[in-house]
Amino acid sequence: MAADFNWAVGGEAGDGIDSTGKIFAQALSRSGRHVFTSKDFASRIRGGYTAYKVRTSVDKVQSVVDRLDVLIALTPRTIEENLEELHEGSVIIYDGERTTMQNVEIPEGMIGIDVPLKRLAEEAGGAIMRNVVALGAACEVAEFPIENLDSALEKRFGDKGQKLVDNNKEAARAGQSYVAEEYDADFEYDLETTDEDYVLLNGDEAIGMGAIAAGCRFYSGYPITPATDVMTYLTGRLERYGGHVVQAEDELSAINMALGAARGGARAMTATSGPGIDLMTETFGLVATSETPLVICNVMRSGPSTGMPTKQEQGDLNHMLYGGHGEVPRFVLTPTTVDECFWKTVEAFNLAEKYQLPVYLTADLSMAVTEQTFSPDTFDMDAVEVDRGFVVDDASVEEHLSESGGFQPHELTEDGVSPRAFPGTVDGAHMSTGLEHDEQGRRTEDTEMRVEQVDKRNRKVETATEREDWSPREFGEEDAENLVITWGSNEGALAEALDLLEADGIDIRVLSVPYVFPRPDLSDAIEAAERTIVVECNETGQFANLVERDALVRVDRINKYDGVRFKADELAHEIKATLETGTEATQ
Amino acid sequence: MSTFSAIGEEREIDRDEYTPGVEPQPTWCPGCGDFSVLKALKQALPEVGRSPEETLLCTGIGCSGKLNSYLDTYGFHTIHGRSLPVARAAKLANPDLEVIAAGGDGDGYGIGGNHFIHTARENHDMTYIVFNNEIFGLTKGQTSPTSPKGHKSKTQPHGSAKEPLKPLSLSLNAGASYVARTAAVNPNQAKEILIEAIEHDGFAHVDFLTQCPTWNKDARQYVPYIDVNESDDYDFDKTDRVEAAEMMRTTEEALYDGEVLTGRFYVDDERISYGQEKQQIGEMPEEPLAERYWDDDYEWERSYDRFVDKHE
Repeated sequence: MAADFNWAVGGEAGDGIDSTGKIFAQALSRSGRHVFTSKDFASRIRGGYTAYKVRTSVDKVQSVVDRLDVLIALTPRTIEENLEELHEGSVIIYDGERTTMQNVEIPEGMIGIDVPLKRLAEEAGGAIMRNVVALGAACEVAEFPIENLDSALEKRFGDKGQKLVDNNKEAARAGQSYVAEEYDADFEYDLETTDEDYVLLNGDEAIGMGAIAAGCRFYSGYPITPATDVMTYLTGRLERYGGHVVQAEDELSAINMALGAARGGARAMTATSGPGIDLMTETFGLVATSETPLVICNVMRSGPSTGMPTKQEQGDLNHMLYGGHGEVPRFVLTPTTVDECFWKTVEAFNLAEKYQLPVYLTADLSMAVTEQTFSPDTFDMDAVEVDRGFVVDDASVEEHLSESGGFQPHELTEDGVSPRAFPGTVDGAHMSTGLEHDEQGRRTEDTEMRVEQVDKRNRKVETATEREDWSPREFGEEDAENLVITWGSNEGALAEALDLLEADGIDIRVLSVPYVFPRPDLSDAIEAAERTIVVECNETGQFANLVERDALVRVDRINKYDGVRFKADELAHEIKATLETGTEATQ
Repeated sequence: MSTFSAIGEEREIDRDEYTPGVEPQPTWCPGCGDFSVLKALKQALPEVGRSPEETLLCTGIGCSGKLNSYLDTYGFHTIHGRSLPVARAAKLANPDLEVIAAGGDGDGYGIGGNHFIHTARENHDMTYIVFNNEIFGLTKGQTSPTSPKGHKSKTQPHGSAKEPLKPLSLSLNAGASYVARTAAVNPNQAKEILIEAIEHDGFAHVDFLTQCPTWNKDARQYVPYIDVNESDDYDFDKTDRVEAAEMMRTTEEALYDGEVLTGRFYVDDERISYGQEKQQIGEMPEEPLAERYWDDDYEWERSYDRFVDKHE
């Protein structure tokens, strides 16, 4: 694997950190380098600090690491916050003329590059471009051809006029020449470029892209971190594909609108995070018992209550599996990577319509804020299939009428899947209700029909379990003694931890699970292994508990709930420690 | 022409078509005002030419929620307070449908109040009928948002300390473009108002006074009523927001003095609906969202570079 390069820009909220970082990430992506980004939203010490981090390599990168090579520090705190990640020889770019940075101390062994960012920006046309000056300086330090910044700058500022674009290009070059002239040194970085043409997107955007590809025609949502990007991605795009995006008055309305659109005949989705899922749980039972296909996307963040809105956690699994009163089937999909967010979204829509039930599509904050590069082939649109399930038309509707002539949307069928008739279909008129109902959808408290309808709804799960592929993703050493199981966004860090462990002579088999309900049977794999560790970002081990119950064994656990995602090197260390000492379960 | 077979079908519609084959007789209490809503709907729908199969009726929870069982159209009996977002989205998915939502005063003005405000604000093209009996009937007689101040019930034994909600004024202020009140005891006016409401292009709110003879015995039977549009005692312009507001206020206060005023209170035919407005600004396709699914031969235009910002 080629050497990776780790870069960050940090400062106060309002310093334009996010857009500066994104410009650099785009420039790297456009130069044919792989990129994996992450964001520090808020301080571990106090509020205000924010940073955008970029890890890049010519090989695929799928995790963050505890290392920072070049840091653009707009505030002293940015340096303090990253002391653990900075190392000997790390370069810190700062503006020594900025009042707060005048007395800044560059830690021993690191290289301080003092660039008058504001002054050079003013000379190029305005102080507002000081971060772009810093980007130019970073290009020089990293030996990254500055031309690659140009197209990213054009994209960012193009709609504001060529003059502004030109000023920014000039600002970048001012930063570059300043470093070249004042610091005649080789920093040992050489960011080579390739001819590859990558797509740069985050998990929320991949979900939005998947929704459009899958034929979603209606999205309703209410803004919430970190799910808002799904909505902003779809806004302005979905209508170009015959759909519509609604910003509802609250999450109750958002899910009810998606439900209404689905009843009306459109593929529909809503996306939210924990607090919104709480509200949507009210309508969840109605979606399920009325057998309406719906995709509910939960981009998890740290809870409970308002929790830590900009921090990582995988704490909603139990809620998605069991949330809501009564018993009713649902599917829970847990894509494990940003690109899989696309494919699992497509799958979620098909599963929802084939089995006429709500599907939770689960991402988490780490995926949502991570911009990652992919080859365009990753999103092969020709491979996208749309299956709308069992829908009647004028010809087939007659086969599903009761003796009294009513259409039967809850017909008792062998596989549990009943016909759907969209409003506007001749002879298809019927009602649906949240009450227990008979085959025609009319309320009933008849004991036999109650049992038959419950069984019918659950039969859909049995059918789907048989017909669909619920396999985990597997990598590592198949015959390894040590099995590591995970779900959701930890896969990338685990994949890289695998390489690090291998270098230490430790072989691992990894099963990364994108389906939590229905889910793969992992019993055989657990039995074949000497040791099993379940890795997840929550305190109680919600997935580990399921694994133990399914396989009737005890497993070791690695749980992280400090609000920060796993890093590859950190995870390798944890796995190694767990294998050496075991956790409570196996001691 | 729509790919949905029932839409735009040219045929005579008989009002018996709306009566379901099973359970044709509603199980509301004898003397309940809800019968009148059902009857008025069965009269209004054929008159506006919308067949059972191109009509979607969404209801909430309460005695009024049983309406779906007795009106044989496409129906969705949703949960408490949520009929409006379901109904308005179904209309957006397929604007060729005739979409009606119905619920009680607790459902619409209490638990669903936020949806009521916002559906009116956004002026969705649909009809909303509120069965207003000033009581929670299905749960046996608790105080509701429209119960008068001082109303005694098992949950308010010393009399409600709350001012009743003023639904007509609320509706107007929220942005509804058609606001009317009718009463179960006035079947002809009820039918005429429902016809107008259904034909209105925008959010039409009908506050339908439905007496509850079982749990609100001391309440008025909503007689005698006065039609404010016909009475010589009242003179106001229903297209004028200020005059309409004044008339609504008078009406809402009079109700608690035993005077039942009904009629059309506000009609704005100029304001375009949410769907039309979204079409005008390019955020809503001309073709119904639900339309293309029927076309197996449709070639989906799918290419990643249409989805992501590609650098040229």
